[in-house]
Amino acid sequence: MRRQVPLILCFVFGIVMIFTQFIPHSLSQSLHQEVRQWYLIIFPFALVFSSIALIRTHVMRIRRRTEHWRYSFLIFIGILMMVVIGVPFGPQHHVFEWLFNNVQVPMDATMFSLLAFFIASAAYRAFRARTLEASLLLVTALIVMLGNVPVGDLVWNTVFAWLPWENATSGMKQWILDNPNLSARRGIILGISLGVISQSIRIILGIERSYLGGGD
Amino acid sequence: MLEKLMSIDRRIIFILVALAVILPTLIPVSMPISVSEPTQKLYDYIETIPAGGTIMLVFDYGPASLAELNPMARAIMKQCFAKDIRVIGLTLYAVGTTMGSTLIQEVVEETGAVDGEDYVFLGFRPGLELVILGMGTDITSIFDRDYNGKPLSEIPMMQNVTNYDQVDLLVDLSAGSLTEAWITYANVQFNLQIAAGVTGVIISQMYPYLQTGQLVGLIPGIAGAAEYERLIEAPAKGTLWINIESFVHLLIIGLVVIGNIAFFIQRRREE
Amino acid sequence: MEKIIGIWIAAFLTLCIYSFLYRDNPFYRFAEYLFVGVSLGYSIVLQIHQGLIPFAWQPFSAAVTGGSLTGLIKLIPIAIGLLFFAGLSPQQTWLIRYPSAILIGVTSGVAIPNVLQAHIFEQTRGTIGPFAAIHAGTLSGWGVFEAILMVVGVVCTLTYFFFSIEHRGPVKWVSKVGIAFLMIGFGSAFGNTVMGRVALLIQRVDFLLNDWFGTIF
Repeated sequence: MRRQVPLILCFVFGIVMIFTQFIPHSLSQSLHQEVRQWYLIIFPFALVFSSIALIRTHVMRIRRRTEHWRYSFLIFIGILMMVVIGVPFGPQHHVFEWLFNNVQVPMDATMFSLLAFFIASAAYRAFRARTLEASLLLVTALIVMLGNVPVGDLVWNTVFAWLPWENATSGMKQWILDNPNLSARRGIILGISLGVISQSIRIILGIERSYLGGGD
Repeated sequence: MLEKLMSIDRRIIFILVALAVILPTLIPVSMPISVSEPTQKLYDYIETIPAGGTIMLVFDYGPASLAELNPMARAIMKQCFAKDIRVIGLTLYAVGTTMGSTLIQEVVEETGAVDGEDYVFLGFRPGLELVILGMGTDITSIFDRDYNGKPLSEIPMMQNVTNYDQVDLLVDLSAGSLTEAWITYANVQFNLQIAAGVTGVIISQMYPYLQTGQLVGLIPGIAGAAEYERLIEAPAKGTLWINIESFVHLLIIGLVVIGNIAFFIQRRREE
Repeated sequence: MEKIIGIWIAAFLTLCIYSFLYRDNPFYRFAEYLFVGVSLGYSIVLQIHQGLIPFAWQPFSAAVTGGSLTGLIKLIPIAIGLLFFAGLSPQQTWLIRYPSAILIGVTSGVAIPNVLQAHIFEQTRGTIGPFAAIHAGTLSGWGVFEAILMVVGVVCTLTYFFFSIEHRGPVKWVSKVGIAFLMIGFGSAFGNTVMGRVALLIQRVDFLLNDWFGTIF
């Protein structure tokens, strides 16, 4: 009941979704649509539950007085600010939009912009041409960085004005992206896709059961 | 001297990076921008769509990517509204909802586009690939109303749009793997033409799809946004920022070169 | 006024986060935790209004008020979805497996044929497709070189990831070429990532210098 039924459900729903995609009969298509609707009904519950689970984690942090536990209260203030306006009036309410644009947006954008500083620092300290492979990575990165910005072509067109190739910096970058980069990426895509397909088959057949978690 | 150079406090590098951004922001410079082939392809494709055509513009990104993707979204909307192409906005990424809604309002104020006639914003629905598949059969099975709660049946521009068959192009502005989801489900199952505008992080992985034609065009990061602004002859933030970006890239390249020179000198001494 | 207050709050929070560049401090932690809370609150509101209400509540109320059999069938997935909340009770957590199994089964089922078509067949076609152009004689000498380079790159990269045989002899060399292609791929990804992250920084500085300072000077 605790493990067998979920395995059967997974198998039945998985098989239905595979076969109904290949059978154009109206009955098959209706079944496909019905299962799709079931998925769309169930899925939001999972998302709301995951949010509640995260709130619970912070309640536990406060209860157990873990490091920086007092800051967890700020999480509840943040949640309350959004939920008090958003749940009764909807996300279209101008106060909700104002909070999003003036509180969430600047913090989110700034948090990720910190990486610009750390990338520069790490590049200076660790980006070394120690081996042939590392040199390839480094040279490619430098060409792409230079080719991405207008100063790359400006310098080339000024310094190498006597050469017949205009905008060669961005041209080199484009060639790298279109050829060796494409090959490497395609190899990765093929590898990942074969992995996704085999994993999906294992899940449907009940060989892969990690989603059931531990216990009975 | 060499040891000092190698163990420089990281905060000095932070200050250099900050100066490389602040100074050109205060004293803007303008350099010529060349247009790459993937950006040109998308621009040309939209140019071939006749007046009255429809594109879907998907805001699959959050504030962490707005610097790169907002300028693209603006440029595409301006091109579409100028050509009388209708825009259906939506997102599969919750945080993209208010981003998309706010941005559309800003462009509408500039262009005078009319809600329900020139554009409609549908909002967000959770479910990723199942939402993509559902809209392929019937858009109203996923979005029966627009973001403001108006039934799609009452929106003039949606009268003849029931599924992807009536959509000329879908442009996914993405900060993650959602462009691949659109390719996997909308392109394969419904033959919907797809283009993308993506953040720097995922530019490289889009090229295989561009070569196969699964993507009809690609705007690569802030550089692509600046290129697109040049194509529509409306330079804006993308153009301004890519010029500033030049100085930071030069600084980082300089730091890498100095770091490597110091490294090789040190290695030679040790040998 | 509303706009100016918004700009000042945004500027304060931006500076709180940038204070981390000096070192970890209470201002940064204040912004960090507030950010988590606001994001979570935003997510809850969107999941309810744009997910639960249109996908679960509306079918539910239609089923209850309409009373039709097809409508009532929708009550089954709603009941299954509600099982997620059993996760709040440690004794009943196992009930989560039911809705999870359905979600995982459905996504696995739709993935197999579509991933096969979009990523395996199409990418293979893209790799060998240029050889049809070579055969037809429509590709230039440089184009032929690029087509061969692409096949070599894809095969070598795949060989590097193929662990079923030991990487010795010729296989070792092929996989070494694969590593070279991967390094070029990662190098270009790094170069592009730098562009993305720097763009974010420029946007924030633009906000501080133009929007925020604009309210002062």
